[in-house]
Amino acid sequence: MSKYLFAVLLIAIMAWYLSFSATRLDRLHHRVETSWANLDGLLQRRAAIAIEIARSEISDPASSLLLTFAAHQAREASIRDRSQAETGLTGALGILIETSTSIDGAIEQDLLRELKELTEKIKMAIAIHVDAVTRTQLVRKKWFIRLFRLAGTAPEPVTYEFEGDVL
Amino acid sequence: MPLSKKRIGIVCPYGWDTPGGVQSHVGDLAEYLIRQGHYVSVLAPAIDEESLPDYVTSAGRPISIPYNGAVARVLFGPIAFSRVRQWINNGSFDVLHLHEPAIPSISLLACWAAEGPMVGTFHAAAKRQKVTFAVAPILEPVIEKLSARIAVSEAARETLTEHLETDAIVVPNGIYARRYRDGVVDSRWSGNTLGFIGRFEEKRKGLEVLVAALPKIIAEYPDVHIFIAGPGDSQEVLKEIDSNLHPRFTFLGRISEEEKANFLTSIALYIAPNTGGESFGIILAEALAGGASVIASDIPAFDSLLGHGKYGTLFESENSADLSSKVIELLGDENKRRSIAQEGKRYAQEFDWDVVAEKIYDVYEMAMVGGSTVTLSSENRAWNKFLGRQ
Repeated sequence: MSKYLFAVLLIAIMAWYLSFSATRLDRLHHRVETSWANLDGLLQRRAAIAIEIARSEISDPASSLLLTFAAHQAREASIRDRSQAETGLTGALGILIETSTSIDGAIEQDLLRELKELTEKIKMAIAIHVDAVTRTQLVRKKWFIRLFRLAGTAPEPVTYEFEGDVL
Repeated sequence: MPLSKKRIGIVCPYGWDTPGGVQSHVGDLAEYLIRQGHYVSVLAPAIDEESLPDYVTSAGRPISIPYNGAVARVLFGPIAFSRVRQWINNGSFDVLHLHEPAIPSISLLACWAAEGPMVGTFHAAAKRQKVTFAVAPILEPVIEKLSARIAVSEAARETLTEHLETDAIVVPNGIYARRYRDGVVDSRWSGNTLGFIGRFEEKRKGLEVLVAALPKIIAEYPDVHIFIAGPGDSQEVLKEIDSNLHPRFTFLGRISEEEKANFLTSIALYIAPNTGGESFGIILAEALAGGASVIASDIPAFDSLLGHGKYGTLFESENSADLSSKVIELLGDENKRRSIAQEGKRYAQEFDWDVVAEKIYDVYEMAMVGGSTVTLSSENRAWNKFLGRQ
C-alpha cells in the first residue's frame, strides 16, 4: 500500500516540478521579448537620429550617404543580422563625430546630446537583453526541459553581440 | 523628465528604524520620485509603526539574525509573506523595485510572490562562499524573474556574477552633492587634522586601526589632531585609548549637514579605516563631494568607489603601519592632497541624486516596456484558488 502511496507522491512532485519549470521558462521567454522590444525601440530611435544627423550641417555629402545607407540597413536587418548592421551604424556615426568640425548650431548640439543619451540607454538595454537571453538559454539546456519539450514552440532566443566600446 | 506618472513599489529588506545605507538610499529615492510626481509606496519592516513617513508601509517587526558577518534586522515567515502579497495586490504597481533580493527577507518574498516589471538592486559585496553552491538553485528561479538588475558598485556586480551568474547595470547610491559643494574652511578644524564620521563605537568602523596608527604619525607631526563626528558614547571609547593620546581627540557628536560640509572642506585628511561590512560607502562619496582628501581601507566597496585609488588613497585594511605611512606622506605633500581632493570632488558629482535617480528611472522604463503591471505570480494564483483563498 505504502509503495503505491509513495509512487503517487513521487508523480505528484514531478508534475508540480514540471509545471513550475514550464512557468519559469515561459516567464523567461516573456522577459526576452520585453527586453528585445525595449532594445529594438531604442535602436530604431538611434537610426532615426542618424538620418537626421545625415541631413544636418554636421555631415558632409559623402558621410551623409554613408550614414543614411548604414541607418537604412540597420532598420531593415533581420533579428539575426541586426547586431552586425547596428555595429556598422555605430562605426559610421563614430567616424562622423570624430572628423566633423562644424558642430556649432543649436540643432546640431541637440542632436548630438540626444545621441549621447540614447547611447547610454542602449548600453543598459543591451546588458538587460543579453542577460535575459543567456538565462533563457541556460534553462532551455536542462535535460528534463528538453526531454519534456517544455520550451514548446517558443523560438530559441538569439543573443545580441554588440561591441560596447565602439558605441 | 517622465511624461506619465507611475505607481512605484519599493521593498526595503532592513528594519526602517535602524540607521543604515540601504534604508537611507531607499528613503531618499522614494522622496525624489515623489517630488517628480510619481506615486511611491515603500514596504519595510518596522518596530515603531507610528512614526513612519506616510509613504512607508510596515510589514511587521524585524528580527535580528546574523548574516554576512553583521547583524541584519530583517523579516520573513508566513505572516510577513501574506502582508507582502496583500501590499502587492492592493498597490497595483507599474513597477516593483526590490532591494537586496538575494537575502532571506521580504524582498525575496516579494520577488517570489510577484510577476511583471521588477527591478532588483544588489548592495552587498562579499567574497564567494561555499554556501552559495547550496542556495543558488533555490535563488535562481526567483532572482531570474527580475526584468533588470542594478548593482551599486563594481564590487557588488562582481559578487552577483560570481554567486548567481547574472550580470547587472552599475548605478551608484545617491547623495545630495549640492549640500556639500559650498562648504567654507572653519579654522577650528583646519591644520594638520584628521577627520572621521560615523558610529565610532562599532568595531567594523575601524577607529582602533586609526588609534594604533597615531604614535607614528605624532612622531612626524606633533600637532596632529583628530576630530570625530557621529553618535556614540565618547567616554566608552576613550577608556580603550592610551590616556596620553586623549588631548588629541575631539568628539563633535552629531553634526548638521551644513557643519558637515564645512568640516569636510576644513580637515586635512578624511580617514575611513573600516574593516568590512560596508556595501557602498556613502560617507566616502559625501566626503569626496565635500572636497576632502580621503584615505580609506582597501575593502572591496571602498576600492571600487575610489576608482582603485584614483580619487582617494587606499591603505591595506587593518594595517595601521600602512595607514600611518600614507597619512605622513600626504600631510607632507599639500599639492598632492589638493589634487586628489579636486579629482574626487568632480567625480563625486556622478553620485548626485539628479543623476542617480534619472538612471534608476531609465531602468524602470526599460522594465515597463511591455506595458503590463505587477500582479501576484500565476503559480500562487493557482494555489490560492486550490486552497480556496480569494
